[in-house]
Amino acid sequence: MNGLNGIGVKVVHVGGNGNAHAVLREIEARLQLLVEKGEEGSIDLSGLPLMPEDYDLLEETLGEGEVVAEVHSLGPTRIHETGIPGVWWVTHYNSDDEVLAEFIEVAWCPEILLTPEDDVKDGLEALRARLFELNPKSPLGGAPSLDL
Amino acid sequence: MRDETLLDTLKRRGISRRGFLKFCATTASMLALPPAMAAEVAAALGKVRRPAVIWLSFQECTGCTESLTRAHSPSIESLIFDAISLDYHHTLQAASGHAAEEAREHSMKQDWGNYLLLVDGSIPLKDDGVYSTIAGISNLQMLKDAAAGAAAIVSVGTCAAYGGLPHANPNPTGAVSVSEIIKDKPIINVPGCPPIPAVLTGVLAHYLTFGAIPDLDDLGRPKAFFGESIHDRCYRRPFYDQGKFAKTFDDEGARNGWCLFELGCKGPTTHNACATTKWNGGTSWPVQSGHGCLGCSEPDFWDGGSFYKALSTPISPVTGAAAAAVAIGAAAGVAIGLANRQTKAAAKAAHQKATIADLEK
Amino acid sequence: MNAMDLLLWSRGPGLGIAIGIFLFGMVLRLFEIYSLGRKRDLAPARTGGEGSGWRTMFTRSVPDRAQFKRSPVVFTTGYIFHIGFFIVLLFLLPHIELIRSISGLSWPALPTPVVDLIAVITLIALIVTLIYRIMDPVRRLLSTFGDYLAWTVTFLPVLTGYMAYHHLLFDYTLMLALHILSVELLLVVFPFTKLTHMVTLFISRWYNGEWFARKGVAS
Ligand code: SF4
Ligand code: SF4
Repeated sequence: MNGLNGIGVKVVHVGGNGNAHAVLREIEARLQLLVEKGEEGSIDLSGLPLMPEDYDLLEETLGEGEVVAEVHSLGPTRIHETGIPGVWWVTHYNSDDEVLAEFIEVAWCPEILLTPEDDVKDGLEALRARLFELNPKSPLGGAPSLDL
Repeated sequence: MRDETLLDTLKRRGISRRGFLKFCATTASMLALPPAMAAEVAAALGKVRRPAVIWLSFQECTGCTESLTRAHSPSIESLIFDAISLDYHHTLQAASGHAAEEAREHSMKQDWGNYLLLVDGSIPLKDDGVYSTIAGISNLQMLKDAAAGAAAIVSVGTCAAYGGLPHANPNPTGAVSVSEIIKDKPIINVPGCPPIPAVLTGVLAHYLTFGAIPDLDDLGRPKAFFGESIHDRCYRRPFYDQGKFAKTFDDEGARNGWCLFELGCKGPTTHNACATTKWNGGTSWPVQSGHGCLGCSEPDFWDGGSFYKALSTPISPVTGAAAAAVAIGAAAGVAIGLANRQTKAAAKAAHQKATIADLEK
Repeated sequence: MNAMDLLLWSRGPGLGIAIGIFLFGMVLRLFEIYSLGRKRDLAPARTGGEGSGWRTMFTRSVPDRAQFKRSPVVFTTGYIFHIGFFIVLLFLLPHIELIRSISGLSWPALPTPVVDLIAVITLIALIVTLIYRIMDPVRRLLSTFGDYLAWTVTFLPVLTGYMAYHHLLFDYTLMLALHILSVELLLVVFPFTKLTHMVTLFISRWYNGEWFARKGVAS
């Protein structure tokens, strides 16, 4: 047997249940908020039952944008900007590549892509430690001309 | 480690700040909270201490535990389970016999008043509860003892929540639910036969993050997951409304994905999250796989008549009662008819002829 | 007792009891009426009465123009709610399933939104008849407790069914249980109120028609 084709099941398209339209309207409203007030927001796609047709409609309407990114923490998180700038598609997976949660974020940049401030501080320290290893004589590492 | 908050646990496991963000977003989604609540989840995680959990299994089939150990989001789920300290679960723990019972008693003593008690299976009451015992202790006794020191109780599965299968007619063991016995503790019912793993994890996550029990409906179920019926969220609903129904499991209608009402779907009276959360990591759910809902998360679902008869049909055949009623009705009708005839005959007999002379008097 | 228990009771023992009382009462009534008998007609019949009996059953079901003019409201709403009630009763799929499970007979259902609309119209018509009955002094004087009871038990099943379908007031499970219980109330009350006219009406019309023919009156 070859998957569903081997079984006497006809896969028919029952058609979306209209929820894609609801999501698109909400995106529109949030995008307007972002433009006018700079307010960011996000929509949980598991909150509404979406049929495959609804997904297709969502994907078709939003299209593909220029940015694709992947974060590796607690399993992958895949992010892409849709063809509508400011509208991001964020999917969290677990380490078995199963979807944990899926969001549409309407933002300048999804929060999970921004480097957390504390991480930057830690990063600065880490970098200094590495530079010190390269050139133990200089108190700030090996590049006095770049004195901060 | 007992005083550790969930945030500490996550940190100790080397989770990055982005990972934490992801954890909070996923948890909020799992709890059916709006995404903006993720920040609140994050704040709460830093405050609540990880609770000890004792899991008691009574008259059950272990299906609930099986379902749960196959929860679909291993990483998040294992984090949640890491975050609790499961001190006693007789199917999952390594210890057995006296050692196991000691572990339970020890944990109860240590966290008296603070632990979370999870129960699956119903409790037999008939004949002093001899039908189910653990280490010589009846389920009833063990439940009462363990409940006394619990902060809250989660009834996992329909048996613990409403009596389930053991409670089905004629209920030979006198099985009852947890809430029939324990009246003075908050009880969260997570019914289902078995319950959806993600729903149980969601309920635990809620308790862990907010340290309080979620909003419950009048049958003690968390509204976030049981607030709407299967039928309300069913993707076959448009067919129901249009009057397009599958008549058999292999006809044209079934192949076209039409509504399963005529095949016995109990979706309209069943509250569960199957239609939205789905099963097996969101792969599918019973109605999507072509079978009607059995109503497994409702009390007495086993006694609701055939699983394959429409919801609007009688549970038991009415022909017997109907035939008897017709017979009695006929007999009574004949009796009344005879009585009427007699009255008539008597009236006739008492009849006197009147003459003109009588009238002129 | 929770909503599910109530639903299970109404679909199980409750239904058995209601159908039992209904059949008991109806059979009793019919036997009673039949055993009253008719005086023998000694005069020779003018024509055969049977055809006339059947015809009258039909002709008397169509409104008479003169009478219609006298009280158009009663006629219109009366026809609307009777027809509406039967469409809802006989053409909603769950109802057909019920009939099929008891009798084995079935026929195609109407789309639910259509039945829904008809239910609303039926409810409105029923309310108008009630208002008319209360507002009109003659009708009010003529009305007895039995009339109001008959109206109530007819109104409730349509109302509760509508509310269950639209998830109004209570959860569907409870509303469905109340709906079935209201139908059971209708069944129980049926043989002992004017509602028996649903059956006896045809008997008496046939009887009238047959009598007309014997006497040589056009039906
Ligand atoms: S399949 Fe069941 S739950 Fe889905 S619409 Fe039909 S009756 Fe409702
Ligand atoms: S579809 Fe119905 S019977 Fe099946 S698991 Fe969900 S609630 Fe239980």
